[in-house]
Amino acid sequence: MLAKREFTVANTYHYNWSSPMRWIISHLLQYRFLFLGFALLCIVNNIFAASTSLFIGRAFDAVLQKNTALQQLGMITLAMLIVITMQGCCDLGARLTAEMLSKRFARDAREELYTNLLGKSQTFHNRQRVGDIMARASNDMTQLSDMMSPGIDTIMDSFSSLFMSVLFIGLLNPQLLLVPILYVIVFLVALRFYARQLGPVAVNLREEFGQTNAVLTESVNGIEVVKATAQEPQEIHKFVTRASRYRDFYVQNGKIHGRYLPTLLLGIALALAFLHGLYLYSHHEISLGMLVTFMSLMTYLRYVTYMSTWSFSLLRLGVAGAERIISLLKEETELDANMGGHKEEMRGDVVFEHVTFSYGSTPILKDISFHARPGQTIAIVGQTGAGKSTLTKLVNRIYDVDTGRVLIDGVDVRDWDMDALRSQISTIEQDVFLFSRTIAENISYGLGSKADQSAIEVAARDAQADEFIQSFPQGYETEIGERGVTLSGGQRQRLAIARALLTDPRILVLDDSTSAIDSATEDEIQKAIHRILEGRTTLLITPRISQIRWADSILVLRKGELIDQGSHEELLARCETYRRIFSHYDAALPASVGGVEHD
Amino acid sequence: MGFIMEGLDAEAYDRTYSDGHLIKRIIGYFKPKLPLMITITILIVFNAGLDTAFPLLVSNSIDTLSSTHAFQTAVIIVGFILCSSVLSWTCNLFRQRFTARSVGDVVLHLRKDAFTAVMSRDMSFFDEFSSGKIVSRVTSDTESFATVVTLTLNLLSQVLLYVLIVVVLFFRNYQLALMTLTIMPAIIGVALGFRVVARRFTRRAQRSLARVNSNVQEIVSGITIAKNFRQEQNMYDEFKQINAQSYYVNLRSGFLYNGIFPVLVFIANIGTTIIVYFGGHSVLGGVISAGEWFLFVQSLSLLWQPLTSIASFWSQFQLGLAASERVFALLDAEPRIQQTGHETVGQIKGEITFKQLLFSYDQRQTVLKDFSLTIKAGETIAFVGHTGAGKSSIGKLISRFYEFQGGKILIDGRDIRTLDLAQYHARLGIVPQSPFLFSGTVADNIRYARPTATDAEVYAIAQQIGNGDWIEALPEGLETLVGETGRSLSMGQRQLVALARVLLQDPAILIMDEATASVDPLTEAQIQEGLDVILKQRTAIVIAHRLSTIKHANRIIVLDGGRIAEEGSHEDLMRRGGHYSDLYNTYFRHQSPDYKPGEGFIPVRDPNMQAPSTR
Ligand SMILES: Nc1ncnc2c1ncn2[C@@H]1O[C@H](COP(=O)(O)OP(=O)(O)O)[C@@H](O)[C@H]1O
Ligand SMILES: Nc1ncnc2c1ncn2[C@@H]1O[C@H](COP(=O)(O)OP(=O)(O)O)[C@@H](O)[C@H]1O
Ligand SMILES: [Mg+2]
Repeated sequence: MLAKREFTVANTYHYNWSSPMRWIISHLLQYRFLFLGFALLCIVNNIFAASTSLFIGRAFDAVLQKNTALQQLGMITLAMLIVITMQGCCDLGARLTAEMLSKRFARDAREELYTNLLGKSQTFHNRQRVGDIMARASNDMTQLSDMMSPGIDTIMDSFSSLFMSVLFIGLLNPQLLLVPILYVIVFLVALRFYARQLGPVAVNLREEFGQTNAVLTESVNGIEVVKATAQEPQEIHKFVTRASRYRDFYVQNGKIHGRYLPTLLLGIALALAFLHGLYLYSHHEISLGMLVTFMSLMTYLRYVTYMSTWSFSLLRLGVAGAERIISLLKEETELDANMGGHKEEMRGDVVFEHVTFSYGSTPILKDISFHARPGQTIAIVGQTGAGKSTLTKLVNRIYDVDTGRVLIDGVDVRDWDMDALRSQISTIEQDVFLFSRTIAENISYGLGSKADQSAIEVAARDAQADEFIQSFPQGYETEIGERGVTLSGGQRQRLAIARALLTDPRILVLDDSTSAIDSATEDEIQKAIHRILEGRTTLLITPRISQIRWADSILVLRKGELIDQGSHEELLARCETYRRIFSHYDAALPASVGGVEHD
Repeated sequence: MGFIMEGLDAEAYDRTYSDGHLIKRIIGYFKPKLPLMITITILIVFNAGLDTAFPLLVSNSIDTLSSTHAFQTAVIIVGFILCSSVLSWTCNLFRQRFTARSVGDVVLHLRKDAFTAVMSRDMSFFDEFSSGKIVSRVTSDTESFATVVTLTLNLLSQVLLYVLIVVVLFFRNYQLALMTLTIMPAIIGVALGFRVVARRFTRRAQRSLARVNSNVQEIVSGITIAKNFRQEQNMYDEFKQINAQSYYVNLRSGFLYNGIFPVLVFIANIGTTIIVYFGGHSVLGGVISAGEWFLFVQSLSLLWQPLTSIASFWSQFQLGLAASERVFALLDAEPRIQQTGHETVGQIKGEITFKQLLFSYDQRQTVLKDFSLTIKAGETIAFVGHTGAGKSSIGKLISRFYEFQGGKILIDGRDIRTLDLAQYHARLGIVPQSPFLFSGTVADNIRYARPTATDAEVYAIAQQIGNGDWIEALPEGLETLVGETGRSLSMGQRQLVALARVLLQDPAILIMDEATASVDPLTEAQIQEGLDVILKQRTAIVIAHRLSTIKHANRIIVLDGGRIAEEGSHEDLMRRGGHYSDLYNTYFRHQSPDYKPGEGFIPVRDPNMQAPSTR
């Protein structure tokens, strides 16, 4: 079985992750017939290409013999025309199949990475730097596609050309093989050395690129702070330091390219081959025409020699990119989708049994136990950093408990089908995230494409968002910028509330979701929530005393420990911490309003 | 096919430059590298000369061979071949090194310029353009730029090689030379036609790729929401479609780019056939020697190679030019914020005056209209009002993040447009509504605005906030890693760090935009005492919904739809019984434990909260 995954797609092809090379091969093998076709076309193409040299030699011999020259020359030219036409077709075919392989590879690998990222746990995503993931998902991917075409494409083509040239030289006269074979051996050794040298530099180049991207992304996302504190020089310094390291590796890479030995070896080989040819010619082992053919076949070796500098560099960069992508794919993740797990309409009975949880080594929640019956509202109070938000994240299994159990309707959340679990629990998070799409699309996000316009508008009205949305010229079709930057804080929160209300959840988690909303508006929202969520279990984190007061049960957290729970009156009576917290929750009621009755 | 190209439009700040202009600017970047570039060029010329030598030498010796049997001369020629290849290799060694160095430096330079340009854009730029696209211009597009330059250098050597060979051929036999040139028009025609199509295809391919990438970026940064709503399947379906589009668009441009080579090679091969045939005739007719004929046939393969690469070069060149166009567009984007001067700021007292200010972010709505207000130096002023009333916008205008359309903002009586922004910002402290932290430790973040601050100073500031209780809650105290954007801290903790960061900066003007909205009231009350002391010495602008935070202000401004509805001290406003007292009363009514949300006020208990209820 494969690693755990929170999300999987049916019928996916499983690639081999054991090494970058294997992974690349397993991708290419998915299109094995296309690849086979490509390889064949490369070979045939080069047979034709090499045979044109034979024709040239023939023509040379024919002309030197003079008597039947003219007729022969015509025949040879005709044959050459046929051969180059066929070669042209094979060449075109090979290039286009290579292109198809390359683009399919990139498409599939992107999809593989995307699904994989979707399936990774929140813990994993917390660790990652967005800029680095993006460098992997976009630039390393492009590197992969370049590795196939022109990289592997050129390697295949040039090596089959090498093979064919040597073969044809052998056909010409086996004695002529001496220098070419020696050259091929030395060439392969030198190439291996070259590729080995390139390897680490390519890895560093890709890594530095990712780091540069990460630094840059962070600066752009934090631009408001950078500007407000006039720290542009600091950011520029950070960026330039990274970019300079990239530059250093780039220069190192260039040096290795310069030290590429085969081009020198080829010069020597050509001289030796010529010498050898001359020697054989002077001993009448070969004709002058054969010598000419031999030399032109030898010049075909130029192609593979010169191209390999570049094609192997592409290959190494591609492998380095693949390594970075696989390391992301392979990261273990803790949770899985648990398809086929418990799947039922939720009643909303939530039980925590001796739950302990930590993000790292420090425990954040310690031995928490409580019970929320269906339809109850549970308020959670405690100081900043006490673990309130963390507690709610265990309910819909964003994180798994370390010890103890979280039960919903008597079933451990780990036994619930993740689809069924999460789609029936909605969270209005503290840190509102909106997508850079239209307002309507953002509100309907939780339902996918299933939501209709009227439902969206009802949800927006309930969240007191309809009014401001209508005030925009484009109304619900207004595009909001990245993360909803073009809205005020309270507007963002109201969209998040509308988004959660639309999904009609069984369990609702409200994590300080109205901090930027004025109290009158909030009151309206509360009214709507009460109406809609009649009978739904609610976990409530809020500083508003009037809401806490009416909760069925209140949990008091202090530094991860549940120090008391009960109703408002009970806690006031017996819990010192609660009283202390409570006294500051925007306390004293002004006498002037004491008697005013509203609503 | 219309739907396939959907969503592949240009960015608003994109502009088109002529090729000439682009090339001129690219060359500008290489100016400081002139000596190195000249050396590279010389090496290239030398290299090309040596490469031409080989076929010449071979053909010479063949001529000697077919006439006399002077083995000696042949051996000398072999010696020449050896020498020339060693020389050629050495030239190449230096050329590669120098090229890598100069290109690496230029790309670094360009990246720095692009990054500096990004940092100096105003906030409206970042609202409008997604961070992913900005980032890819600075890193990826500058990389493509490097490719162009390397290619140009290679092209130079190819062109030289080509010219040298043609010259040699003409000297040898101009008739045959002319014949070799007959297929030139065909090659040029194909290459030019290709260029036109390639440009269009390239743009589309790059935009579709950008679209895929921004889709990935969206899910990577919004993964929590996708998980909460279990929307992975929908996100995946959407991605699949966009990925498929990108596949088709890129495949088409790939076919074009890769398909052009076989066509050119085919044309070149026809050229070879022509030479074989007519050259053979000429040898038979005694016009040229067999050696010369061989020279032609041999040089042809050398000749076609540069010719096809010159043709295909256009495609790469177009890619690179398109990339550099995007980088330059970024460099040249007009900032909306126009400073008319860069006067030194010096110490500021902190008096802020708005005069008939008119402001809107975009066409959508006018946020502030005819807004006038004077904030006295050292005053603490609070803004209250419904969300969307324009409170944060006022803070952003004082910070000069956005350009306003009419009126004036004066700082200590000086027009904000004439100040040096970097110096001004250094005197200004902002705690934004959504606190952003940089990855690193809590201490690093507190120190962000004043990197030279010592550990002791950082600790002292952290202690000042609520007696430092909050530090204890951090797993590793001030050395706790906050994660990217600060996501490993709770929201309240992030706000406290952001507050500490500003306090360490010690600004003359302090803007706190709901700075403690996510901090629990107990902690907030603890902070408040310390804060009151700090705010006394400077101008402070406080935006908050919790009225307990606001009561401390010298003056309270009630904003409504971008206009000042009321202003005065807490007591004044309460006495007046207008907006503010309404707001205050509803607020406290809603805060009362005896108020049931949505149902109204239920006075069941003694309003004295401190005493435990006795039921
Ligand atoms: N993703 C995370 N990784 C590591 N530590 C975290 C993470 N999220 C929160 N914490 C830590 O856990 C503690 C509790 O956080 P949280 O539950 O958000 O508090 P709050 O009660 O304010 O909602 C804090 O000390 C915080 O630093
Ligand atoms: N960056 C922005 N681009 C466009 N419109 C914006 C931007 N920021 C805020 N707005 C709009 O300006 C109005 C005032 O927002 P803001 O000043 O943030 O309100 P608040 O009083 O809640 O702080 C809102 O209607 C909001 O939609
Ligand atoms: Mg929280």
